[in-house]
Amino acid sequence: MDGRETMDEEDLRALSGLRAFELSVAVAAPSAGRYLAYHGADVIKVESRVNPDVARLFGSAWARTEELAPVFYDTSPYLPEMSAGKRSIGLELKDADSLGAARTLLARSDVFLSNYTAEALARLGFGYDDLRAVNPGLIYVVMPGFGAEPSLPYYPFRAFGPNQAPLVGLDALTGYAGQEPAGIATVAPPDYVAGMHAFVAILSALEHRDATGEGSEIIVSQMETTVSLLGPYLIDHALTGRTPEANGNRLAWAAPCGIYPCSGHDRHVAITVDDDQAWQALVDLLGGELAEPALASLDARQAAHDRIDALITEWTSTVSPAEAASRLQAAGVAAYEVLDHRGVLADPQIRDRHFYDVKPSTRFGRDLFSGHPLRMSDTPAHVDWAGPNMGEHTREVLGDLAGLSEAEIDALIEREAAFTDRQPELRLQRPFDMWYESLGFVDDGEES
Amino acid sequence: MGPWNGIRVVDLTGLSAAYGTRLMAALGAEVIKVESPEGDVVRRFEPYAPGVEEPEASLWWAFLAAGKKSVVLDTGTPEGHAQLAALLASADVVFDDAPPADQDRPGTGHRAVRAANPAVTWVAITPFGLTGPHRDWLSSDLVAWASCGLAYTIGFPGEPPLAPAAPVQLAMHYTAINAAIAAMLALRARRRIGRGQLVDLSIQETMLSMAPETGVPLYLDDQVPRPRAGNRRPVTSPFGLFPCQDGHVAILALQPNHWQAMARWIADVTGNEGVLDDVFDDIAVRHEAAEAVDMWTEELTTSATKLELFVEGQRRGIPITPVNTVADLRADPHLAQAGWWRDENHPVLGPVQVPGAPFLVSHEWWAWSVAPTLGQHTDEVLEQLG
Repeated sequence: MDGRETMDEEDLRALSGLRAFELSVAVAAPSAGRYLAYHGADVIKVESRVNPDVARLFGSAWARTEELAPVFYDTSPYLPEMSAGKRSIGLELKDADSLGAARTLLARSDVFLSNYTAEALARLGFGYDDLRAVNPGLIYVVMPGFGAEPSLPYYPFRAFGPNQAPLVGLDALTGYAGQEPAGIATVAPPDYVAGMHAFVAILSALEHRDATGEGSEIIVSQMETTVSLLGPYLIDHALTGRTPEANGNRLAWAAPCGIYPCSGHDRHVAITVDDDQAWQALVDLLGGELAEPALASLDARQAAHDRIDALITEWTSTVSPAEAASRLQAAGVAAYEVLDHRGVLADPQIRDRHFYDVKPSTRFGRDLFSGHPLRMSDTPAHVDWAGPNMGEHTREVLGDLAGLSEAEIDALIEREAAFTDRQPELRLQRPFDMWYESLGFVDDGEES
Repeated sequence: MGPWNGIRVVDLTGLSAAYGTRLMAALGAEVIKVESPEGDVVRRFEPYAPGVEEPEASLWWAFLAAGKKSVVLDTGTPEGHAQLAALLASADVVFDDAPPADQDRPGTGHRAVRAANPAVTWVAITPFGLTGPHRDWLSSDLVAWASCGLAYTIGFPGEPPLAPAAPVQLAMHYTAINAAIAAMLALRARRRIGRGQLVDLSIQETMLSMAPETGVPLYLDDQVPRPRAGNRRPVTSPFGLFPCQDGHVAILALQPNHWQAMARWIADVTGNEGVLDDVFDDIAVRHEAAEAVDMWTEELTTSATKLELFVEGQRRGIPITPVNTVADLRADPHLAQAGWWRDENHPVLGPVQVPGAPFLVSHEWWAWSVAPTLGQHTDEVLEQLG
């Protein structure tokens, strides 16, 4: 289905043959790493038991038992989301020999990708000059919260995506007019935005290296990266001193634009009227007071937005969100049900396009995770396994790539400077494992 | 010189590729923005620069079209249609946001253009993809957030859901970066396969890829619905926005060392020693006791300003940040000292400070230039096409 069978002989994906060394936590760097993996790179995620990746810390609610404690870190559903198709090695870099092995791996890698703090990288001896000495062609990508220059005021500060969003102005713009900010607690756009900028940087640096032979040092400082997206408002403030404020879902250039209640508990439909043509389509559908000619202009609709919202709500509150969206779309108005978790599961579009991926998993036999959004006709993206167990690939990577002997690897493991996955033979099942077929997730039949 | 120097990009989209092609232009590509005689849709987006006439007043245009060329074509006429076909066949990459039914239009659709020049990569950016029962549906930034499950979770209980930072149009920018990535991957793959390709990019799916928090795997695994919870995230505590004397701060204490530093800070300021009990080192325990932990945290945060809390909390090793406004950011000492802002002498806006590079690189890649006026490059580009 994903074209892998025909690609096996020669993997023509854009990044096949490349190797990335990922020293990462949470989302920002892993989200770039997962794109590397989908497009063919061998991504080696270096993990620590002393300070585990927060994506693993969450584990899974059903796995909070004494019996499952040893393998708890393999159970987080965030893991395949961020690390499907990557290889995981357990290496405590505070140990000099482990650090030496890591440097050998770096000598054989094309990309170093990390969102550790600048200070942590400096302590490890993983500054650009250190690593360039090991590998002159290395594409070195770090994602510190606040730059890599020690003289900068926030240099030693730490922030994850969820508190980068408020820092760069996103939370203050999320909420209803005149109320306290609602914030964006559920998702951290800065993590993903920074991850995608890092990936743009990696692809650009590969072009640069192919043309010149030179490596690159890239600093994706999450604050600067994300604040860039406020461009028009930053320029406006520079020109006029104006500061935008939260105003619900409304926009200056489109009205009405909002989320409206439908029949049922906490069900809604999102509607955007982009232009006068879409407004006419809405008027044709709903009629009544909305048909007043005075409302034909954007300015008039902005001035009457509250009243228009009330009139739209009179209709939406009598229909289901799916019906509202269908009828609005048929009329020519952008609209969609505000999907909750069940709605995403049931969404006919998501199901028809098989967005979710099922692949073999050492811990679960098979596992489910988000698919990849870049559907390329000739070099389709894919990964071949779900999230790795913590340390699943330690022996093969340290042996084959770092050139360590079995005895040397054993010695590292003995003194807990390296580790392999715990109870690799222990096969668990997700609570929904029996539903894969009935829920219609495409299964490529590779699991045993 | 940027690494994409020598690559010609034609952008037929409005907002959905604009941020991505802005990046490509700044990284060396020649980006040609095709506009209708009335001008691009982004030119209608406020805020407008004071004292500047339309269609050059939009600061969205000033920001997103920086470094691009503007070519005006009236594609409703046979001549304009032929000019567009010739332009597209001269491209390495085309970004098109036409509805799926129009992506394969005669003469200027992906099939015709790729037949004329197989080296072209065509990135079709559509609301829901080129296939599926909703392929013909329309979208917007708000609709995109609704369709990926995230809007449902943002906002206060009992009030309607919210798009994150609606005025910023994050979903469109995120889609645009993904579109640029697809193009860059296809350009790299072209050296191996000798041809361009068709990329089917669904805005709904790019947003789903940002939405594991509300995605199917997480939900099926724990069966926990995630209703809107206001500005605190109900996975542990403290995690979310907390009031202070002049606004709010954001605190996120997940890792044991971050929580321990937080507990020590609370104890130091409020005298509450109970918070130091190591039972709270477990994020699950703090989740169960979130009401109490939130209250103890508020006793601390309400005692100071957001800047004081930011600096002292960070000194103690806690991930804490202020909830900034655009005005706060323009005065931010870090951005200023990092030399992030760029001073531009803009032909339309005059001298103005604008955002700098989104990342730093050890080569002279970034080439920033201003946005074109409507049709500024029409003659130049058409003459070259012959």
